[in-house]
Amino acid sequence: MGIKRFIKTTRELLGLHDEQKESKKKALKSLLKKLIQRKRELKDILKERSSKELQEELDIVSLQIKKGKKILHELYE
Amino acid sequence: MLRNIFLITLLGLLSYGFWISPNFKEISAGVAIFLFGMFSLEEGFKSFSGGTLERVLQKSTDKTYKSIGFGILSTTIMQSSSLVSVLTISFLGAGLIGLAQGIGIIFGANIGTTTGAWLVAGLGLKVDIASYAMPMLVFGVIFIFQKQKYIKGLGYILAGLGFLFLGIAYMKSGFEAFKDTIDLASFAVVGIKGLFIFTGIGVFATVVMQSSHATLVLIITALSAGQISYENALALAIGANIGTTITAILGAMGSNVVGKQLALAHLIFNGVTGVIAISSISYLIIAVDYLSLYLNIASDDYSLKLALFHTIFNLIGVVVMIPFISRLVIFLENVLKDKSISNRGFDKAKYLNTSVLALPSTAILSILQETRHLYDNVFEIIAHGINTKRENITSNKSIEESIKDIYSKDAVDIDDLYNQKIKGIYGEIVEFATKAQSTTVSNEDIDRLYNLKIASRDMVEAVKGTKHLQKNLIKYSNSSNKNIQKEYNLIRQGIAELLRSIYIISKTKEEDVILLLLSKSKVNMEKYDILASGTLDRLIRADSISDEMATSLMNDSSYAYDISKKLIAVAEIIFTDVNDLNMGMSKEDIESILDKKKDK
Repeated sequence: MGIKRFIKTTRELLGLHDEQKESKKKALKSLLKKLIQRKRELKDILKERSSKELQEELDIVSLQIKKGKKILHELYE
Repeated sequence: MLRNIFLITLLGLLSYGFWISPNFKEISAGVAIFLFGMFSLEEGFKSFSGGTLERVLQKSTDKTYKSIGFGILSTTIMQSSSLVSVLTISFLGAGLIGLAQGIGIIFGANIGTTTGAWLVAGLGLKVDIASYAMPMLVFGVIFIFQKQKYIKGLGYILAGLGFLFLGIAYMKSGFEAFKDTIDLASFAVVGIKGLFIFTGIGVFATVVMQSSHATLVLIITALSAGQISYENALALAIGANIGTTITAILGAMGSNVVGKQLALAHLIFNGVTGVIAISSISYLIIAVDYLSLYLNIASDDYSLKLALFHTIFNLIGVVVMIPFISRLVIFLENVLKDKSISNRGFDKAKYLNTSVLALPSTAILSILQETRHLYDNVFEIIAHGINTKRENITSNKSIEESIKDIYSKDAVDIDDLYNQKIKGIYGEIVEFATKAQSTTVSNEDIDRLYNLKIASRDMVEAVKGTKHLQKNLIKYSNSSNKNIQKEYNLIRQGIAELLRSIYIISKTKEEDVILLLLSKSKVNMEKYDILASGTLDRLIRADSISDEMATSLMNDSSYAYDISKKLIAVAEIIFTDVNDLNMGMSKEDIESILDKKKDK
């Protein structure tokens, strides 16, 4: 058995073939959690005072959350 | 402030000195011409960097014995250990040789210089290097006006040598008065006291006359006239050997830290040799007498015996010091560290070595580390290019405050900084990454290596963009026209803000912070598009800026845009894994954010 085939078989046997995909999902979930938290914080601040910079940040965070959810959804399909 | 006070005091003292003493004026002019020669020489040798000279020098100095041989030969031909020391400092300044090789040449020069004593004592001859100064200057200047790089370089070398010789000649001429007043007979002392006094006189006379040859001529004359004892003459020769290091110290004043390290090595070597010679002088006298018999030197020919003594004690010094060269290098590097940005030290790769090529992962990691090292230098150059201090950007100060605290009143030489801090490392990264690619099989690793090369190239282009931007940035950020001043300070502010964001990105592990900073930076970058934002139209319509200012602003905004784009791309590659998650902001994403901004 060649070394490459041996590695492939072992990975399949241990269920490691989706390791990369799984770690990506995990990283994305963690990132989304932090972004959602940040969005809440920004909204709270913006309720009290208006700020162009913070509003821009909120727009960026909202866009990133939307984007992240879409990627996560694709990873689960 | 303290520096300015020192400069004013120095200028005042010099002016007073010139007024009261024509000799002092001549000596000072000699030092000034000498230092100018040093700069010219360094410029000349730089023209030959990357070509034949490096190969010749490296081949003739790549081993300790070769560099010692090079020192012996060149000093014998040029008849001046001081000049060889100065040239060696130039080689170091241009990055042509390393410190260990430089030390080898200095050791060799110390042996080579003893041939002068043989010539003076044996043949009564001395090659007068100062007589070559004028033709060298004439040919040098003609060559400098030529277009070809190497001929121009040769011109700088010739002119540099000419100025060095001329400087030494002026110094010697200025010191003639001192020379005439030194009467060695009046100091004749016997015993250990005499040994130290005469060593001291030897040091002083050589420092004053800038030539150990001149001191040796004095010693030989005094010895043959019976003014001093043979022992006192030997002590004078030891002193002259220590005093000759002053030329290298003067030369190193205009050089980089490596040049200074070499000058200190010269002083240490000659000092140690002097101590050895003083402590074992009685044995050395016996050795000289013994060898004189074999060399057919008459027992009363003290001049030749003095030459033999000079050779023996320098040879002993070299033999004793050779095993300590590497320790000496470590010591010098610790004592004299590269602290100044204006320093001409050439930065080299820190993390690339062939042992890591065995594994693709270690190879990629070391290239990544090196690319970050390169970014560190790029950060510094760009910060100085927009005329702010590095520490302002890494501090908690507001960006507005940061750009107010300027780095320098004059524009920093970005070309010079590029050559010192970027060019070498960039070349090494590209070469190493190419080597690593040939040993890597995975497509993923090949892509990673390719990206790191792209990041290095982007950094180089960002530095070049900063160079283009710098001229008008300095000009207009202090302009009397408040409108153009504001626009240029906004450019400075924008770049400073980006550098700070990347600095934070490089230090944090929080993915959300990294993602937000990168996204914000991409959005902010778009404000440089002053045509699209209408800024330029508004300024022109209101007649707030001249046509020339408008053109400059349009071009420079474009440079600022390119610099920002490249730096963001670099940060994405070397500091984040955002690209792995496909979370980077696309052009459409940025446009949608900007549209929202406009609507509000």
